[in-house]
Amino acid sequence: MTSSLPGFLFAIPFFAAVVIPVVGFTNQKFCRPIALSALVFLSIVSVIGLSEAVSHGPLSHAFGGWAPPIGIEWVVDGLSGLLMVAISIVSLITLVHAGPLVEKELPGRVIPFYSLSLLLIAALGGMVLTGDLFNLFVFLEIGSLASYVLVGVAGGRSLLPAFRYLILGTIGASIYLLGVGYLYAATGTLNMADLTQRLPEVLNSRAVLTGLLFIVFGLAIKMGLFPLHGWLPDAYTYAPDACTPLLASVVTKVPLYAFVRIAFWIFGMGTVSTQIPILVVLGWVGAVAAIVGAYLAIWQENFKRMLAYSSVSSMGLFMLGFSLGTETGFAGGLFYVLADTLMKAALFGVAGAAIYQCGASTVTDLVRLRRNMPWVSAALLISALSMVGIPPTAGFFGKWHLVVGALEAEKYFAVAAILVSSMLTALYFFRMFQRVWAEPLQLVKPHVLETPFPIRISLGVLTFGIMALGLGSDLVMGLIFESAIPKGF
Amino acid sequence: MADIFFYRPHFVAFIILFLLGVYIMVVNLNLVKKLIGMYLMQTSIILFFITLAVKKDSTIPILLSSATAVTPEAYANPLPHVLMLTAIVVGVSTLGVSLAMVIALYRQYNTLEEDQILGKMQ
Amino acid sequence: MIRPHDSVIVHTLARVFTPIIQLFALYVLIHGHDSPGGGFQAGTLFAASIILSILAFGIQDSQTVLERRAIILGGIGILLYAGIGLLPLILGAEFLNYGELPIPGMEASARRHWGILGIEIGVTIAVAATAVSIFYSLSGRGEGEGK
Repeated sequence: MTSSLPGFLFAIPFFAAVVIPVVGFTNQKFCRPIALSALVFLSIVSVIGLSEAVSHGPLSHAFGGWAPPIGIEWVVDGLSGLLMVAISIVSLITLVHAGPLVEKELPGRVIPFYSLSLLLIAALGGMVLTGDLFNLFVFLEIGSLASYVLVGVAGGRSLLPAFRYLILGTIGASIYLLGVGYLYAATGTLNMADLTQRLPEVLNSRAVLTGLLFIVFGLAIKMGLFPLHGWLPDAYTYAPDACTPLLASVVTKVPLYAFVRIAFWIFGMGTVSTQIPILVVLGWVGAVAAIVGAYLAIWQENFKRMLAYSSVSSMGLFMLGFSLGTETGFAGGLFYVLADTLMKAALFGVAGAAIYQCGASTVTDLVRLRRNMPWVSAALLISALSMVGIPPTAGFFGKWHLVVGALEAEKYFAVAAILVSSMLTALYFFRMFQRVWAEPLQLVKPHVLETPFPIRISLGVLTFGIMALGLGSDLVMGLIFESAIPKGF
Repeated sequence: MADIFFYRPHFVAFIILFLLGVYIMVVNLNLVKKLIGMYLMQTSIILFFITLAVKKDSTIPILLSSATAVTPEAYANPLPHVLMLTAIVVGVSTLGVSLAMVIALYRQYNTLEEDQILGKMQ
Repeated sequence: MIRPHDSVIVHTLARVFTPIIQLFALYVLIHGHDSPGGGFQAGTLFAASIILSILAFGIQDSQTVLERRAIILGGIGILLYAGIGLLPLILGAEFLNYGELPIPGMEASARRHWGILGIEIGVTIAVAATAVSIFYSLSGRGEGEGK
């Protein structure tokens, strides 16, 4: 059903991103209120969009009044609405968290930070909601350019990792564009719904096979799937602490959504598992990624670097879940994606707060959190337990549904991979717990204060969200099963 | 197999330019030369798309008068051209951002060779 | 730091060509409806004329005037484009549907014509300002970083 709501989902963050430099030149203090109010507005509109899409069917918006398949249309259905809600709420929380960090780390660059963050959020929303393959490429590049600059905005040591991220990210997007070109040459259309109808006739041609492979390869570079994750550890470690929660929690998940949309909705479940069996390959890649990422995280001393390798491992688990081929596995993967946005935002938020308040960048130095920083310590405890998979946090339910899905599909290597990666994750997080809570207290400097209010409230909301998502996992899984599962299982 | 050079020379040109761009990016240590390779790779993809738009005996897709009937075979396909206008703009902005980063890197480390920068970062 | 060029040929030709290039940019912008051209191309031509005069006459004179204004002009250009696009969305039709712009006394196809011209002007301003500001950040002694 046609609706103007998707247009507003684009217009709100985009207008805020453009208005902030123009207004901010007069007075810098206006940037943050404009950004935060735009994100509050965006969250409300996306929740309304999701509820309407679930109850009345997908909302469609054809840009310029030109009807699809000639025109570009944006669709809010169960999956994209759910991801849009997750993106808008988590980015609101991370921008609230980033307030004190921006003033300390990026003193002259407040305007670029807020403007680029809002542009990144607008681009991520565009990628999630669009129903046209080339429009996806355009928003992919807009979001990537904003994130390259956000990684390098602090100067100093972050410039070379930002440059490497730029080169590798542009290669990935160009390869994705090449794949779209092959699909266009074979079918003559770029609209996702139209492509779904035209593909079955041309499925045996080499152009379509090459197109699909290039698209998957390009998106795999963008999402940081092992072994194409080379840019990820350095970029997350050296990026400014104000930007890393936003980058780590949502930016890699949107190319994953694009892959899921193209593989399961356009090509169809039957095609990608039997005719062009990329799901089998990606299942194994995901399993290896989960184990190798967790293994590499054990050896890291820098806390942010450890979390970066943990993100590589999580991306492997997502890919494993989506490639299982059962409904429970798919829904479990999607639930784990939603839980992971909260968990990574909380963990990187804790890392930023630790560096801001007591200069603790290594795992051993995190012991300084014990004095007078109860909110940050609680956030660290809950999110680390959730990453390992201890009930009743959200991470446990995500991994539980993944294991159940893997057992249903009788893919025992997947079960083994999930269990081994969880054990390795437990290894490095419990080592961190031991360093933080089991050390004798007299080594800790006594004069540490509690973090400022924005950091406390954002970490508190994230912690509450992880527990609430875990305890309410039945409701969320029900919502996913009802509206976000592709046909053909 | 060898008749691809006669019947589809544009694909051969695209492949050669693409691989040349990737080779330049991988082999060179100078950051600006890497950017040249990256832009050459993007340009080759633009060339590939444009060659998809050509039809035999077709003219530019601009309607000069609405009196005559429109036959689609007489006009070249305008959609890849429009897509590639957007891709060119994306490529130019990527180049702008990357050159600004290279300037910042030069001001920071006083060299443009990647191995020297890595050495100074240790 | 770009110093003024010493040759008198360069000075004279730059003085002659800068307005010609700008006129050609306006031509490309307005005739984008009927021939190859449009907003982005006109914007880059306009920026090229400014860069030509900077290369011939040095960067010192123009830096104080143009550098800050360029970014603000870029924002105004984008706001013009997005504002014309947002107006139909607020009035109930789709984003960028110029047929529904509230201009009285015109039929839908004429409204689309003027709507496209409006957004192309916005795009030209934005692209020209952005290209000039990229040039300033690459050449001046300012605090260039990744923006």
